Amino acid sequence: MRALAPAVLAALAFAGCQRETRDFRTDPPVLAALDDVAPLPNRIGGAPPDVYVALGQPYQANAYALSEGKRLYDGMNCKGCHADGGGGTGPALLDGWWRYGPDIVSLYVTLRDGRPRGMPSYADKLNSEQLWQVAAYVQTIGSYRAATAATSRNDQMQSRPSENRGPARAPLTEPPSR
Amino acid sequence: MSAPAILPGELDRGAERAILHRQLERTWATPAGFWGALTTVDHKTIGLRYIVTAFGFLALGGVLALAMRWQLARPESRVLSADLYNQAFTVHGANMMFLFAVPVMEAMAVYLVPLMIGTRNIAFPRLNAFSYWIYLFGGILLWAAFALQIGPDVGWFAYVPLSGPQYSSGKRADIWAQMITFTEIAALAIAVEIVVTVFKQRAPGMSLDRIPLFVWGALVTSFLVMLAMPAIMIASTSLILDRLVGTHFFNPTEGGDVLLWQHLFWFFGHPEVYIIFLPATGMVSSMLPTFARRPVFGYLPLVLSIVAIGILSFGLWVHHMFTTGLPRLGESFFTASSMAIAVPAGVQIFCWLATLWDGRPVWRTPLLFIAAFIVTFVLGGLTGVMVASVPLDLQVHDTYFVVAHFHYVLIGGAVFPLLGAIYYWYPKMTGRMLSERLGRWVVGLIFVGFHLTFFPMHFLGLQGMPRRVYTYQPEMGWGAANLFVSLSSILLAAGFALFFLDVIRSARRGPVAGDNPWDASTLEWATTSPPPPYNFARIPVVTSANPLWSEREALPVVTGLRVDRREIVISSVSDATPQARESSPRDSIWPLVTAVAASVMLIASIFTPWAVVWGAIPVAAALIGWFWPKGLPEDEA
Repeated sequence: MRALAPAVLAALAFAGCQRETRDFRTDPPVLAALDDVAPLPNRIGGAPPDVYVALGQPYQANAYALSEGKRLYDGMNCKGCHADGGGGTGPALLDGWWRYGPDIVSLYVTLRDGRPRGMPSYADKLNSEQLWQVAAYVQTIGSYRAATAATSRNDQMQSRPSENRGPARAPLTEPPSR
Repeated sequence: MSAPAILPGELDRGAERAILHRQLERTWATPAGFWGALTTVDHKTIGLRYIVTAFGFLALGGVLALAMRWQLARPESRVLSADLYNQAFTVHGANMMFLFAVPVMEAMAVYLVPLMIGTRNIAFPRLNAFSYWIYLFGGILLWAAFALQIGPDVGWFAYVPLSGPQYSSGKRADIWAQMITFTEIAALAIAVEIVVTVFKQRAPGMSLDRIPLFVWGALVTSFLVMLAMPAIMIASTSLILDRLVGTHFFNPTEGGDVLLWQHLFWFFGHPEVYIIFLPATGMVSSMLPTFARRPVFGYLPLVLSIVAIGILSFGLWVHHMFTTGLPRLGESFFTASSMAIAVPAGVQIFCWLATLWDGRPVWRTPLLFIAAFIVTFVLGGLTGVMVASVPLDLQVHDTYFVVAHFHYVLIGGAVFPLLGAIYYWYPKMTGRMLSERLGRWVVGLIFVGFHLTFFPMHFLGLQGMPRRVYTYQPEMGWGAANLFVSLSSILLAAGFALFFLDVIRSARRGPVAGDNPWDASTLEWATTSPPPPYNFARIPVVTSANPLWSEREALPVVTGLRVDRREIVISSVSDATPQARESSPRDSIWPLVTAVAASVMLIASIFTPWAVVWGAIPVAAALIGWFWPKGLPEDEA
């Protein structure tokens, strides 16, 4: 019992740190190393950079990183094509179907290098950490499963329930018509 | 030797003094041990606990203040990261306002009011126990969150949209908002108890014009709490709903209103300042006669000033919002009302000066603190009149000028009298005196350290240094003044450290005080130090505003209360003529159980709204246990 209490506290502290850490200045070498993804030859899926694993995959489970991703989603006008996740010119991000796979390395490569049929590259607009933040946000936008960290609604007109109210919908059983 | 058995319904008439004491002891005492500590409903135990806890939070908040001063001592310093600094100033502010200043003032009232008005326990003693537990759990919530790096980082007033769902991700702002809920519940509970105690439990003969001034302060403060706190409860609940459930109270594009937050917050926040300040003025008014050796000058103007400040405090919240843009009429009205409150404050100052002028002052430590309070508070009041005018406020809003101003009024206006009050009432609470020699050092260090720390901040503010910045550039030219301020804060901290040292040391080793070491005039000094569990063996009858000075030989008393159960005297509101005997509840574990259940519900509701539904069930069960008749003598009509 004596040993248990500090252990539980330490675990809580660790969980708290992971979810809520805010690092406003990432070191340049880390930024460079974060771009070191190894996608498969067909550019779908692959291995994340070593530093990403070493940092403990800090983007999907960190509320601050997700909210930065959401801020950049607005700022880079992702809404212009993907709307509020519902899709328009570009595919929907809420429906559970991913043209290039659901894993975060694919999303990172999509954002960094662009994809055929209209998805531009953002490598010259965002640094590697920002790309990871957007990728993490886009991955959780549909909130198919309960997560320890999620963004909340924006102070804007609402087109759907906010991400932290998920699981918002069951994954689709049929692929979208397009 | 055991006391003779107590017969059912036995009255205190005719019993020998020693036998009566033993009978009352058996009826009123809290059993020793851990279980007794958890179940006690004695207002003295709970009040003391509250005071010690609040001073613990003061020390923690002071450590944060020192860390911030360390960070700001040099430009571009890297002691605290930006994120940690944001958490530090938010937790410092929220801690000092919600976990120290308000609770400690209410705790002093919990301890002193029943003694000062001559009754045996506070009204609703179990609610009192519940209040303490809720307050403790709320404080632990805030500090545990800070220790886990999820401390709130949005400022102690958590303005939306910064604290709203879009810009404050994670649970940090939710922890701030829920901590508010804890402290509001605790404060509202005490407010209700104090009002009922003061109105219905005063000793026979203590008509309204004989109530000690600290009790007046506590009474008006309690009404302020009841009228002001619902506003912040609505605000913080709306914020949590916005963040967790996706409502739109503060989202302008969906019909909400950002400015609504500021109105709701400051409708509470400004009376909050007086919730802290009014008990402090009451303490001054109650301590001053003892050291001036004459009754206080202008009892009636002092009471009316307290009431006037209480009423006016609800009419000036908008002066915190001058920079948000207001109609001209609004600006003028709130400037005028802000300046108007200086009038009753000034009346009080002049009454105190007149009391000292006409008396033969005995310069003991509490009086030294009162003198430090008068000087410092007048300075803070003057800068208050300055920032009440819109043109000046537009320039210094959100600068260190405002930081200097509110530390002058809060530390100068409330903490100095409070420290004096601790020196004054410590003998009553513990039976031992604090050291007079150390006390003079404490006053000197704190007074000098305070002014050296905070006075230069006025200039920093006028030079444009904003609040809540974690660092500044060397070219700004603020470095020297900031270094001076940071070094001075060590002096201030040393004063507080010496105070804590004195308090801890004297609890064991201080000279024994006796019943009335200061030869004071109010009822709390008529009983032993520390008071017995039943406060007074026989309830005193009050014949003047200074009962212990007008009845030097022996106080007249009333008899006829039962000794086999806890019984108090109920008296009329204005004249305090005795009306009835009323039972007072015994110890109970249910307040603690209810507080635990409520805490689980409130903390879980940060994570899911369903916690309110499922968490309400244990709360309801605990309340049923609380109110279930136990067949005790106290349950009889």
